[in-house]
Formats: sequence, structure tokens, C-alpha cells
Amino acid sequence: MNDERICVGVIAGAFGVKGEVRLKSFCAEPEDIATYGPLWTEDDSRSFTVEIARPVKNGFAAMVSGVATKEAADALRGTRLFADRAALPSLPDDEYYHADLIGLDVVDTGGAPLGRVTAVHNHGAGDLLEIAGPGLKNPALLPFTRAAVPTVDLAARRIVVDPPEGVFPE
Amino acid sequence: MSRSVWKGPFVDSYVLKKAEKSRESGRNEVIKIWSRRSTILPQFVGLTFGVYNGKKHIPVNVSEDMIGQKFGEYAPTRTYYGHAADKKAKRK
Repeated sequence: MNDERICVGVIAGAFGVKGEVRLKSFCAEPEDIATYGPLWTEDDSRSFTVEIARPVKNGFAAMVSGVATKEAADALRGTRLFADRAALPSLPDDEYYHADLIGLDVVDTGGAPLGRVTAVHNHGAGDLLEIAGPGLKNPALLPFTRAAVPTVDLAARRIVVDPPEGVFPE
Repeated sequence: MSRSVWKGPFVDSYVLKKAEKSRESGRNEVIKIWSRRSTILPQFVGLTFGVYNGKKHIPVNVSEDMIGQKFGEYAPTRTYYGHAADKKAKRK
């Protein structure tokens, strides 16, 4: 799979008997899945254009290019759909896609490696970076603030952190 | 039934002590607490608490709009990862 693609949804099976599929979206705004241009399968073997017909339980009923029958739609059950990273709109300063943050190397202000970002959470009190590393028994959670994360360098694939006491074990 | 106003908001006393101590020291630290039932008070704004969720301490940066809520509301006890897709994070 191409690293520059991100998973935005999955085909959950056929919907009805007219070749529509039940589409489950993972996007922040679920209907945005249709706006990211052609969507690819995990192995890059097929691409689809998606047209949302209407919302249904657990997703959308959608028409997918190249799928005209219920049998063809059923054959796609479980197919994960990937969008080109470049198709996502650019963001203002200090706003980042989770997909861009996950996988970044984490170093402290002295340059010592601490681990890698494995997930981004938000429980209502701001975003949190989950950091896992060889020296960490359990993943550490770091508030995603300018004070705690002074530098985010997407080009160099790393972030510099100045964590408060108690986030990382001594 | 809501809590009687004359009692004031409930806060475990050790949370108040720890918050006061941290504010006086001025250190940049996560204040570890286990009291999910304590109300967030105005004097906690700007501090970072590590609220226990049964397994680990979840950092909670207290802001003004959180006053009156309970700490436990910001430290869920179940983890759901989901998909990153086009979700965004904002650095505050």
C-alpha cells in the first residue's frame, strides 16, 4: 500500500438489490468521504469514485463506479478504501491531521529520543499524543500544547517535546 | 436531584492541597489525582491534572469552560482508537 494514502472508510456490503453499497465512513465529517476524489483499495489494484445516495443505518448508501449489481457489491464487502493524502485540504497553522502526527519520532529539547507517536486522543480537554518507546513500559500521554510540544517538524518527521514532570518516568 | 447550593461544590481535600502546592511552587508538572468525583474549581484553571482512569493517569489541562464539571468526565475508562482518517488535532 502507498504510504501517502490514508484509510477513510470501508465497504460494509451491498445495500438493496440495485448495486448500491453500504459505505462506512471513518472521516470526522462522515459525508466528506465522497469529496476526496478516487478512493483506492489497500493493494492499489482498483480505484472507485463514490457517490453518496443517502444516509442509512451505520453509514451511507452509495453508488461506486464499476459496481452495477448486488453480487458485485457483495464481493466488495470488507474492502477498505484509501484516499490520497494530497486530496485532503490544507490546514491552518497549529492544526495537523492525525495521520500526519502518527509515526513521528519524539525527541526532547536536548535531542534525546523518547519514542514515537502512536495515536492522538481527545477526551474533551484538548488533544493528547500517545507516545510509545523502548524505554516506556506503558505508552505516555502528552498534552498537545505549544508549551509541551514546541516544535512539530513534519518534513523531518519528528516533534520536539518539553514534557511536564510526571508524563515520562524518571 | 441536584446538590444543595449551601453545601458548595464537592472537592476532595487532597486535590485542593495538591493544586495549591503546585501553584505555589510554579513547577511545570502533572498533578496526579485519583479523585474523579471532584468538581473543577476556578482556582484549577491553567493547571494540568493527571486523572486516574483505573489504569493510568490521563493529563487534563484545565480551562475556564471546564469549571463545574467533574474531573472524571475528561478521563474515560474505556479506550477506543478508531481510525485517524481526516481527523485533526489543534495545538493550543
